[in-house]
Order: sequence, then structure tokens, then C-alpha cells
Amino acid sequence: MMTTSLETFLLLSPEITLFLAALIAYLAAAFSGLRAGWLVAVTGLGIAILVSGNQPDSGEAISSGPITIDGFSFYIRLLTYTTGLVLALIQSGDYWKSAVQDDSSQHKRRGTGEEAGTFLILLAGLSLVGLANDLVLLFISLELVSIPTYILLALKRTDAAGQEASLKYFFLSLVASALFLYSLACLYGLGGSTSLLAIGNQIQSLGSIAPPTIEGSIVVGTITASMAAVLLPVMLGTALAGVAFRMAAVPMHFYAPDVYEGTSTSNAAVLSTLPKIAGIVMLARIIALAIPPLGSGQTVGPVAEILLLQTWHLIAIVAAVTMTVGNCMALLQNNLRRLLACSSIAHAGYLLVGLAAVTAAATSEQGPLGGESITANALTLDGLASTLFYLATYVLATVGLFGGLIYLGHRWPEWSTSSNKRPRLEEIETVDDLNGLSTTNPVAAFCLATFLLSLAGIPPLPGFWGKLSLVTSSLSIGSGDAAFGDRRAWFIGLSIVLVLNAAIAAAYYLRLITAMYFKSTDKGVQADGGLSSGLAMVVCLIVLLSISIRPRGLFTSALRAGNTLSGNIATETMPPQTTQISVGDAMIASEIQKGNR
Amino acid sequence: MNLLSPSTHLLLVILMPLVGAGIVWLVSSRGLQAVRQSAATTAVLTLVAAGWLILRYLMSTEAASNQVFAMVSVPWLTGGMFDIRLSVGLDGLSLWLFGLSALLSVTAIFVSWEAVTERAVGFYMLLLLLETAMLGVFVARDIILFYVFFEFTLVPLFFLIGIWGHDERRKAAITFFIYTLAGSVLAFLGLMTIVLWNASHTGSVTFDIEALTAGLSLHPLPMDADGGYLQWVVFLALLIGFAVKVPIFPFHTWLPLAHVEAPTGASVDLAGVLLKIGIYGFLRFSMPMLPEATAVAAPWLFALGAFGIVYGALVALVQQDLKRLIAYSSVSHMGYVVMGLFALEPVAIEGANLQLINHGLSSAGLFALVGMLYERFHTRSIQSLGGVAKKAPWLTALFMVFTFSSIGLPGLNGFVGEFMILAGSFQRAWTGVSPELQQSYLILSLMGVVGVVLGAWYMLWAVERVFFGNSRLPPSHLDNESQESLDLRWHEIVALAPLTVFVLWIGITPATFLAPSSQSVRTMTLASSNAFNRQMQPAQGHAGTEMITHNNESSDQQDRPKTNPTFQKPISVKQ
Repeated sequence: MMTTSLETFLLLSPEITLFLAALIAYLAAAFSGLRAGWLVAVTGLGIAILVSGNQPDSGEAISSGPITIDGFSFYIRLLTYTTGLVLALIQSGDYWKSAVQDDSSQHKRRGTGEEAGTFLILLAGLSLVGLANDLVLLFISLELVSIPTYILLALKRTDAAGQEASLKYFFLSLVASALFLYSLACLYGLGGSTSLLAIGNQIQSLGSIAPPTIEGSIVVGTITASMAAVLLPVMLGTALAGVAFRMAAVPMHFYAPDVYEGTSTSNAAVLSTLPKIAGIVMLARIIALAIPPLGSGQTVGPVAEILLLQTWHLIAIVAAVTMTVGNCMALLQNNLRRLLACSSIAHAGYLLVGLAAVTAAATSEQGPLGGESITANALTLDGLASTLFYLATYVLATVGLFGGLIYLGHRWPEWSTSSNKRPRLEEIETVDDLNGLSTTNPVAAFCLATFLLSLAGIPPLPGFWGKLSLVTSSLSIGSGDAAFGDRRAWFIGLSIVLVLNAAIAAAYYLRLITAMYFKSTDKGVQADGGLSSGLAMVVCLIVLLSISIRPRGLFTSALRAGNTLSGNIATETMPPQTTQISVGDAMIASEIQKGNR
Repeated sequence: MNLLSPSTHLLLVILMPLVGAGIVWLVSSRGLQAVRQSAATTAVLTLVAAGWLILRYLMSTEAASNQVFAMVSVPWLTGGMFDIRLSVGLDGLSLWLFGLSALLSVTAIFVSWEAVTERAVGFYMLLLLLETAMLGVFVARDIILFYVFFEFTLVPLFFLIGIWGHDERRKAAITFFIYTLAGSVLAFLGLMTIVLWNASHTGSVTFDIEALTAGLSLHPLPMDADGGYLQWVVFLALLIGFAVKVPIFPFHTWLPLAHVEAPTGASVDLAGVLLKIGIYGFLRFSMPMLPEATAVAAPWLFALGAFGIVYGALVALVQQDLKRLIAYSSVSHMGYVVMGLFALEPVAIEGANLQLINHGLSSAGLFALVGMLYERFHTRSIQSLGGVAKKAPWLTALFMVFTFSSIGLPGLNGFVGEFMILAGSFQRAWTGVSPELQQSYLILSLMGVVGVVLGAWYMLWAVERVFFGNSRLPPSHLDNESQESLDLRWHEIVALAPLTVFVLWIGITPATFLAPSSQSVRTMTLASSNAFNRQMQPAQGHAGTEMITHNNESSDQQDRPKTNPTFQKPISVKQ
């Protein structure tokens, strides 16, 4: 069934480019040091983006061997590579920062040339996660994300805190991977195949051949609906645990503050963005299993319906708890990386809202046995699309923020005249270290403030557009139903939790802005983090501002990506029928006037 | 005049401050003088352009037929279900608030002329940015665009308070921001629910405010358990957002802090314009779109307004800080507006709409003058000031003008608004409510009258202590006196003179200002008034006043054509 042909390799050419670039980076690093590695990485990423951009985008899914290229994987791939490019710039800045430190420094770095190559492999793995349509490839590519992450964590910071962080992440990640592997095994057991397509067909058709009897044990193939009823919750729970770890969502969130604090700032930037992308892809793939493909006219069977129902309830709860916990924890933090870790937990919660919405949209109000197909129409917003849109806005602001922090580098030390000892360089660690930044480095302060306001969701910055689409897709669940149903109440509640969390989050983002703008300092910043991270920060700002003014481009591509996976009808920009309304409106207005006279 | 189409003209007015902010940034290297001159020029030009646009509106056919003038609509975020547009336009409701924003921005810049010398570039850029946001919020015709401007006003003000404010500025800035944000995000959910409800009933998504108003009058949000009390939920969500902004009595705690800590320029904009956005929100969204819920909530909000009047006045009475006193007087005065609005009587609502402008002028003037006092004497404490009139007679004279405007002296603007509000409230209390509520309405209206007396008391008492009597100033200030005059300087006159003109103008010919927005305001509140009248229907049988029954008949006639059968079914009234 699965044939790997030349076409497969052609479709994978961006990833292959990255692997080749990684090899070159490893080799080059051996001879000419670390900076050459990052040069290769940036070039390789540039080529990969060009190659993937040039691939034919026919709008249809192309399956070849274990991979599928559709709007979704296309979006994930481009998001991964562009994020990777900016992160590569930032990390090369991180190198520069370490290079200026003297030998007495605690965070002394041996010039390990493997970082750039390892990072490229991580990116290629992440892109493969989006492409995989097969359980084996899905798992392998997830490990291609995990293992380079361990290496990066261990390489970049060799002091005790760094070691602790990398070990913590390593062991927890192993547990999460194992749990996710278990859920993949359950899926194999359900579908009898490693192909996601086959498993999806099996799940969707389970129990739909004949209505279930009271005993609930109809034999379909070799799997009974009752067996599925046992397997599915187990699969769901373990999968969600794996996903929650990658996204740093409750209950697998607790490692994040410790690991972010212990590791280097650039690693924190990687951790707060790339694994989140992986987590969303994993979850979206599992949800898509229960949703019939685009335009098939197929209905969802009872088993799939149960799966969808359980999934959205579970995701909605996890989302609500995650954002609240993340934001409340962040309020208490004083260390910048810990604070951003908590913020990234909270954002994982926001991201899950869209996934809950897309899952619930595929269920019907009649309950598990309604067996109704998705009501895809132009009046609801696809939740997956809004999650993907929000993901991009979040990643953009976060990467820019970390870029700015790395660019700022160190405080000027306090010179003491009494001792001749050279003072120790202080890295920017706490919120107070940002005091007075608006006077000492106005450009960086402006960039950071803009990123923070975007994360807080202040209009018209991209974070606002992201939250707008999340809230819209969440509120539109069940808005067309005749009666006010349970599902609707759930999602109205979820939306309220979301916006209130946005207000809580503003408190700690404003704390950083307050430090930068309203407080003064006698110590400036060195801004020794390297020009490349400064460049990354400015690039992020420009992109951010242009998305604020014109959010349409990114939004439509997110929409297309979401639609291909969640089975919604791809609604190309339909000219809205405003004419009719305005005519009716004018009629009403004139009637009111008549009445007034 | 045909050179500039109204739409281009409107866009120009909104974008001018933004361009001006850019210019301020460009000339920043040339020093303070260049910075403030370019900022002032921008604000004055914007005011001229806005004034000209208002004149064009008054002469246009749209004004006569109560339609939107200078409509521009450009797609912004489209795709999927979104059809968010950059659409702006003027109508009778937004007209004067739009003008007020342009006017007070000029005041804000000129009162900061000497006061702000540190980091002046940022200050003037933020003031101009705030002006764009304020102008935008009143002309936005798209619900999301409205919200974008609504929330964006917070950002410049946050920085203005936090950087150039007084001792407690950081706390004030954060409190202000978080408090208002928490309210407005809930309002945002309410607005989105309206959009989605309309979409699911008309079959197409629109974010246009007019279309939504029309759609919601055809398919009102449900008020019963089957519909999840959705109209109530949405009304409460909007209420929280707008009530914090106004602020209505129990939500007012952020206001005194923000005002006292804010620099004068920011206080002028905050008191003069930003407080009005909440009321504007009620008029634009809650009242026309959610009439049944408004009708049920109206008595409660009427009462909150009346409590706010007396509470604000009593607290103002005991203040030692002059700026805090005026901040609490704002709470009291906004109480009148809320009371007038939720009397749901056309006279009172028009009065409330005028009172928005009146309060904008008088409170902005008073805050500006307090700022000038502070610049001269470095204190705002009523106890340590005294005998200012001798040293600064013109300053005193202007303070008196705005004081009298604020306490409603006949002949000045405040009187017209307060009179209309109180007249409308009493009219409602005597003839428009059910017998059970009549007594409460009368008492509440009387509280409004008491508020007028209290207002005169605390303002005049403060004036007496600050401006007259013996000088209680520490001797160090006397040296200052010998060197330069303490009276108004040219830029302060420029800042305040236009306000004085309008204070007198509105006071003498209020019809000039009432007429253009009258029809628009009545249209906006018609549905709510009708719903309230229907709710009070049993009472009118007893009262039997000719005027009210007549009113009621005509309103029923107006109502009938645009309602579907579900709208006609009797609304359950808790008796």
C-alpha cells in the first residue's frame, strides 16, 4: 500500500536540504568554529524556504508514501522554517554573547560546533511531523524533534542549573514520548494499520453500519464498538498527556518554569515555540481522524462521535485550567525566563481553545448517537484555523521578545574602586534588570513593549487578531442551533475564561513595560547580545506591525490550512451580501423617521 | 468644496494626528520648541479640519435625513466568516463628540506647553496618537473597528499617566489599564455574540453597526430560558465594559486615582473625552440593539446614576486635594448623564447627550486650570492655597466660568443639560412608570436635585477657599511672584479660550447643538423607550395622562412595521 517513490523524495526536498545543511554544519564546525555553523544553518534554511515555497500548491492533498502535503502541512512547514530562520539568527547572537565573556565567567562555553546542525535537524523533524500521515513516521519525526532538543539543552549551558534543566526536560520528555507512543499503539489496535487515513476511515465507520444494540457489541471487522469504547479514552488520555508536555499545558506544565530558568535564553526561545507547533500538529492529526474528509458527504459514526465529544470536553477543560494556571503563576514571577515560561503555559491554553472548538463543531447537539455530519458553513469560524493563526502571532511575538532579551545581553557591571578584581558580568535575569530601558536603549524598549502588548492582545496588534479569531470560533459553536444547548453554554464559558485571562495576563506584561518605561536605573544595558539577535528583533517588529495593519494574508493562509484538515468547506473570500441588509436597513430607518414625524 | 469629498475629508481628519506624531518624531532633534510647535500645529489643523467637516455635515442632505455622512468602507480582515472593515462615518450621535475630541486635544497640548519638558517628544506623540484613537472611536461604523479604537485609547493614556504622572503614577497607570481592560474584554464578548446571533439569523455575517442594529431589531436576542437569557448576558457584558469606562457608581474606583496622578494634558483628554466613550457605547449598542434588557435594567441604572450623583458630590465635599475634588465631581456629573440616559424619556436622553459635551468642556477646563495652579504653587491642596485671585485675576475668572458651567448656572451650558435631564426624570417619575415605582422614581429624581445643590456647595466652597481670602502660601512662592506674573500665559489662554466660547455658546443657544443630534439620539433610543413604556403599560391605564397615551400610541405605530410576530409577544415583567 505504501510506496515510497522518487516523488516522495522530491516532496521532501526541503527537509532533505536541511539534513544536508546539518551535515555541512557539523563538518564546517569542526574546522572553522561555531559561527560558520550558523552561517550554514541560515543559508540552508533560506534554501529550504525557497524550495518549499516553490513546490506546486495545487490546493489538493498530495499523498506519497508516508507523507501528505496539504494546506495544513504546507502552513506548518513554512511556519517552522521562518521561525527557525529567526531563531537561528537569535542563537548565533547567543554565541556572540558567550564569546565576549572572559574566562572567569561561569557560563563559559566551549565552542561546540554541533549546535547549528542539531538545530537544523530539529526543524526538519518538526516539518516532518506536519507531513506525516503514518504512525511510524509521526513518531520518528517527533523523536527527531525531541532528541535534538535534549542535545541543545545540554550543549548550551554547562553549569549546574543548566544540567538540572536539561535532565529534567530529558526525563519528562521520555515519559511524554512513551505515553504518546502508547496512544499510537491504541490507534494501531483500532485501525489495524499504521496509515492515519486507514485508521481514520475505520474510526469514522465504526458502529455506523448498524445502530448499536443494547448490548453494544456489534462486530465490525475485528474490532467491536465496545472495544473501541475502552480503547478510545485510553488513547485520548495518553495522547493528550504527550501533547500537553510538548505544549506545556496542564497537567504537564510544571517543568517549564524550571527548565526555562535553568537553560540559556535562546534555548528558552526554542522551547517556547517549536514544541508548541509540534503539540498542535499532533493533536490536530488525532482530532482529524474522527472527522470525515473534505466534501466526502460521509457522516460521523457513533464511535467517532464519542471520540469527538470526549475530546472537546477534555480539551476545553485543559484549556481553561492551563490558561488560568499559567497566568496566575506568571503574576508571581520575578525572573524573566520563568515569567515567560508561565506566559507560554498560558498561551498553550489559548491555543487549545481553537482545537476544542473545531472538535465540538464536528459533533452535533443531539448527542453521541446523532451521527450528523459537520455543519460546515460560512457562519462559523474554523477553530483549527484560528489556532493556527494564533500560533503564528504568538510565535512571532515570543521569538521577537526572546530575541530582544538576548540582544540586550548584560547589564553594565557596578565598578567597585576598592578591589581590583574585574567585576562579574550580570546577565539580564529579572524584571528589575529591565528598569529604565526606555532611556538606555529606546529601540529595544519599544520593540519589547510592542511584543508584550501583542501577547496581551491589545488591538490592533496581531495578538488581538489571534484572540479575536479564537473567541469567534469558540462563540460560534452552536450559535446556529435552534435551542440554547449545553455545548453553547460550555463555549460561552470558555470564551469568558479566555478574555478574563487576557486581562490577567495584561497585568504581568504591563509589569515589564512599567519597568522599562516608568522606572529609572543607574545601570544601563550593554546590548552585547550580538547584532544578529538585534536584527531578528527588528525583523519581528516589522512583520508584527505589518500584520497589525493587514492581517488578511496570514489569516487566509491559516484558514486554508485549517480547512484542509478539519474537513470544513474551504470558503474562499465570499463577498458578503451587505446590499440586502443595507436596503432593509434604509427601509427601517425611513419608517422610523415617518414615525417620528 | 468639491475638491475634497467628505469621505476623504473624514479620513484626513483621523489620520492627521498620526502624521503629526510622525512629524514630531522627525523634528525631535531640533529641540523642545520645534516639537511642541509641530504638535500644536497638527492639533490646531486637525481641529480646523474637523470643524469644517462638522459644518459640511450640518449643511449636507445626510444630516437632514439622519443618515451616515462621509461613509468610507474598506475591507480589512476578510476571509472565513470575517468581514471586518475599516469603515468610518459621521452621524448625529457622533458629531459633537468627534468635535469635542479635536477641541480638547488642542487644549491638552497647550496646557502641557510649559509643564512637560522632559521626554517631550514621546509626550506629544502619545497625545496625538490618543487623538487619533479618540476621533476614531466615535466615527467607527464597524463593530470591531470601534473596539480596536476603544481599547487602543488605553495604550497612549497608560504611558501618559505612567511616565509623566505624579508620585503614585505607576500604580495609577496599571490600575487604570487593568480595570478598564477587564471590563472591555467582556464587552468584546458581548459584541461578538451580537455579531454571531445576527449572522445565524440573517444568513450572512456582517460587522457593520447599522446592519447589526437593523438585524437585531428583526431578530432580537432571546430574553427567556430557552434562549439562555442571551440578551441579558450580552447586556450585562456590555454594561460592565461601558460602566467601568463612564464610570457608573460602584465601578468608579479607578477614576480618582488615575486623574490625580495623570499629567494635566492626559487629565483633560481622560475627563473630557474618554469618559464619554462609555455613554456613547450605551447609546450606540446597548439601547438600540438590546431594548428589552435595557428596559428591565433601566430602573436600576437610573438609581445607580442618582446614587452616583449624591455619592460623588458628598465625597467631593470632603476632599482636600483640588484635583481629586474635580475627579469626584466628574463621578457626580456622569451620574446625571447615566440618570438622563436611563430615564428613557426623549428630553432626558437629549439632555444627557448634551451634558456629555458640557461635562467635557467644564471638566477639561477645570482640570487644565488645576494643572496651572499646580505649576505655579506646586500644590493642589485646598488648605495650602488661598488668595490666588489677587495674584492671578484672569485665572480666577476663568476658573469661575468653568465652575459656574459645572454647577449649572443658567446662561451657561451646564444648566441646559442638567435642566433637561431633571425635567425628563420628573416627567418619567410622574407619568411614565408603574405606581409601585413612582415613589422611588420621584425620590431618585429629587436626589438629582439635591446633587445640584451639593454641587454648588462643594465647588463654590472650594473656589472660596482657594481663590479668595488671605494668601496661605509659603513665602518661597512670593519670590516667584516678584519675578514674573502668575496670571495666565499666552498658551494657557489659547488652551482655554475656545472652551469658554463653547461654554457660553451652548448656554445661550443650546438648540444649535441639540438639533443636529436630536433625531439620531431619538432613533437610537426609540426601541428601548418603547420597550420600557410597554413594560410600564399597566401603570399608564391608571395614570391616564393624555400626553403619555399619545406618545405610546405613536410609538406603537412606529414599532409595528419593523417587528416580526415574535417581537410583539408580551414581555414578561416582574411585578
